[in-house]
Amino acid sequence: MSKLKDILSPFTAWNNLARDPVTIKDPINDRPGAPRYRGFHQNDLEKCIGCGACESICETGAIRMVPVDGEETKEGDSGLRPEVDYGRCCFCALCVDICSTGSLTLSNEYIWVDEDPEAFTFVPGVDKKSWDDNEEGWKRPEPDYELNIKERVTMPELSAEERENSFVEIVKGYSREQAIAEADRCIDCGLCQATCPAHMDIPDYIRAVREENLEEGFRIMYKTNPLPEVCGRICTHKCEDVCAMGHRGDPIAIRWLKRYIADSVGEEYYQEALKQENPQDKDKKVAIVGAGPTGLSAAYYLALMGYSIKIFEAQPRAGGMMRYGIPEYRLPYEALDADIDYILSLGVDIQYNTRVGKDVTLEQLHEEYDSVLVGTGLHAGRSTRIPGTDHKHVYQAVELLREFSKGNEIPVSDKIVVIGGGNVAMDITRTLARLQRQKYGKVQITTTSLETEDIMPADQEEIDEAREEKVNLQPGWGPQKIEIENDRIKGLHVQRCLSVFDENGRFNPKFDESQTDFFEGDMAVEAIGQGMDISYISKPMREELDFTERGRLRVNDYFQSKQEWLFMGGDIIQGPDVIHGIANGHKAARGIDKYLRGELRYEE
Amino acid sequence: MQSTIKNLKKRFDISEVKEQRKNLTFISTEEDQVVPLLMHLRDQEGFSHFVLLTAVDWIEEGVFQLTYILNHPEKKTDLGIRAYIGREDATMESAHHLWEQVATYQRELKEMFGIDFPGSPRVDEEFFLEGWDDIPPMRREFDSKQYSEDTYFPRPGSKSHDPREYMKQKLYRDDYEEEK
Repeated sequence: MSKLKDILSPFTAWNNLARDPVTIKDPINDRPGAPRYRGFHQNDLEKCIGCGACESICETGAIRMVPVDGEETKEGDSGLRPEVDYGRCCFCALCVDICSTGSLTLSNEYIWVDEDPEAFTFVPGVDKKSWDDNEEGWKRPEPDYELNIKERVTMPELSAEERENSFVEIVKGYSREQAIAEADRCIDCGLCQATCPAHMDIPDYIRAVREENLEEGFRIMYKTNPLPEVCGRICTHKCEDVCAMGHRGDPIAIRWLKRYIADSVGEEYYQEALKQENPQDKDKKVAIVGAGPTGLSAAYYLALMGYSIKIFEAQPRAGGMMRYGIPEYRLPYEALDADIDYILSLGVDIQYNTRVGKDVTLEQLHEEYDSVLVGTGLHAGRSTRIPGTDHKHVYQAVELLREFSKGNEIPVSDKIVVIGGGNVAMDITRTLARLQRQKYGKVQITTTSLETEDIMPADQEEIDEAREEKVNLQPGWGPQKIEIENDRIKGLHVQRCLSVFDENGRFNPKFDESQTDFFEGDMAVEAIGQGMDISYISKPMREELDFTERGRLRVNDYFQSKQEWLFMGGDIIQGPDVIHGIANGHKAARGIDKYLRGELRYEE
Repeated sequence: MQSTIKNLKKRFDISEVKEQRKNLTFISTEEDQVVPLLMHLRDQEGFSHFVLLTAVDWIEEGVFQLTYILNHPEKKTDLGIRAYIGREDATMESAHHLWEQVATYQRELKEMFGIDFPGSPRVDEEFFLEGWDDIPPMRREFDSKQYSEDTYFPRPGSKSHDPREYMKQKLYRDDYEEEK
C-alpha cells in the first residue's frame, strides 16, 4: 500500500496544471511592485503648499525645495516644490508620512533606466513620469499612523454658565505644559510669516515656547509688534488660516502661544526683558493723532529711533477700538494697559481728551511738528437707513460699546434686535446679553445679518459663543423696516436674503420678497460697519491729497500722503483690524524716519 | 501559549509577556538565558523553526534590544524572545549552533549595528555594505544626512530654498531689506 502511494504521489502535482499560474506571464515587461511598495515619488501639485516638511525630515538630504514654473508664491503657498535626488533617496517614505497636506506619495513603480545621471534628480509632479497616475504604492496608512499631531491643545475657557452673567475674560490661557505641547506641533515651515500683516517671526517665538526661553520669545515679538497682550487675545490670526498643519488637522494656536509668552513675562518684567530706552538723540518731533494700534505702534518704533513723540487722543484713555470697541471679556483692560504702559514708559507723551479738528487743528500740528501720523480709525457707525432708524431707540453699536467701556450706563431693554453679522455685531450682542441677564435675569436678543452663517464676517468662535450665551442668531435676512407703534419700537421686519454679493463681488444683496419674518424688540442696534470721520482734514488740505477711485485716501508704501509731512495708517487705510494697524504703524514709523532724514518722497 | 509560558517561567526569568495577536506572542528574558531558552523552545516546546533575528537601538537607554522570532509549525504560532544588551562593546552569545541560518542574521547585525557574536561563522565578513567605511549605519548616532552630504555630492546647479526666506524675498522684500 505504501509503495503504491510512493509511486502515485508525484502525479498529484499534475493537479496544479488546472490552476491559475502564480507566476507573471511576461516577466520582462510586467513586474508590478506590491500595492504598498515604496517606489518613485508622486506629488499632487494642487495640494502641495511647499512647506518643506519633506525636506526637513529627509534622512539622506535627498530633497531640496526648488521654485518651479507655474507655481506662484502666494499666501499659504511658498511656490516651492520638492525635488528628489535618487542618488541619495533611500525610499524610507518619511517624506510621505510627514507631508502636511498629503500631496506627496510613492508609486509602486520601481524600474527606471536612463543613461543620463541627471535624469535621476527630478521634481515629482512637474517633470512628467509614467508613474504619475499610478494608484498603487505607499500612501500614509490612515487613520492609524500619524507623525504630526492633528489636534490642537484645547484652550481652557469659562463655560457658558460661568461667563454669561459677567465680563470676566472667557479664555483662561495655556499652562506651561499645554503651551509646550502646542508649540511642539509646529513644523517650523514659516508659511504663516508672509501672511501676518506685521510679518511677525512666528516660528521663532513658537520655538522660544518649545525651548522655554520666554524672554527671548518676548523680544522676538516686540521686533514687529509692540502689542502682544492684545494680539495674543483678539488678533484676527490670519496666520492660522494658512498654517500648514491646518490642511489635515487644526492649525497651530499661534495666537494663544503669543498670549502665553506675553502673560508669562508679566508687566513688571517688561523693561528687564526688553532693555530698551528712547535715546532722545534726534531733534525732530512727531505728532501722532489717535492712540489706537497704529498710533501706539508707530510711537513705540519712533521712540526707539530717538524721536520725541506726542500723541493726541480724543478719549480719556489710550487704546482706541481696543479699549472702546472690544468688550472686556475678550480683552481685559489690564492686558491692554500692560502693552500701552510699556510704550508710554519709553518717554512717549500723550494728551488725552483732545480731538484734532476741534481742540487743535491739523494745520497747527503741521506747524509745531516735523511730521504727523494720523491713525484715527473707523468710529462712525453706519446706518442701514431703513424706515424707522431715526427713532431715538435705534442705536449704533460702536457708540454703545464706547459708552459702556467708559463706565457709563447704556440703554438695555428686555427685548433687543441687533442688525449685523461682523465681530462688532457679536460684541454688542454679547455685551447686551450680559446686561440683560443682570437686569432681567434672562436673555431676549435677536441678532440678524444679511449673510448666512457660512459667510458671516464674524469669527466662528464669536458666533458659537454667542449662541451658547442663548442669543437668538438669525443669519440670512435683509432688514426692511423697523415697526413703530405709538412712538414705541415693536420690532424689525426682514425678508430672506438670497445673496449678498453679485458676480463681480460687489455688495448688491438680492432678496426673496415672499419669505418674510418679524423679530420682536423694543430697541434696535445697528452694527453693519463703521465709516471714517476725517473732518479734521480741512477742505484746502483735502484738495492737496490723493484719493483712489473709490474715494479712499491714497498713500505710498510707507503710508505717506501727498502732503509729505502727513502719514496715515490703520483702519482708515487698510484692514480693519488691529494687526494691520500695528503693521501700518511700524511701516509708517520707518517712513517718517526716512522722510525726516530726507530720504523719502511721495511720488505718484 | 499560556501553558507554554507557564512552563518557561519555571525554568527561566520571563517578563513582559505580550500577546500581540492570536498567533504571535512576545516575551523578554535575561541576556545570559537567551541561548538556553532558544534551545529549550526548539527541543522541548516544538518551536523548531527559526524565523528571524533583529535588533533595535534604544540609544537613550544605552541598550540594544535583540528579538528572536521562532515558529511552531504544528500550532502555527510565533513566539518572539526579547533581550537587552549593553550598547558599549555590544556582544551576544551566538546561536548559530541551533540553526545554521542564524549565522547570517548575526553577520548582518554585526555589520549594521556593530553587535559582535564571537564564534559565529564569517561574522566579520562584509555582508551587504561592501566597502563601508563608517560606523555601523543602523546605530542611531550614525548621521545618515551628514553621510549622504559627504558621500553623494549634490547634482550641479541644484540648490534648496527655505520656504520662509523665499517668501520674504518674493512677497515682502522691501520690509525685509530694511530690517537688515
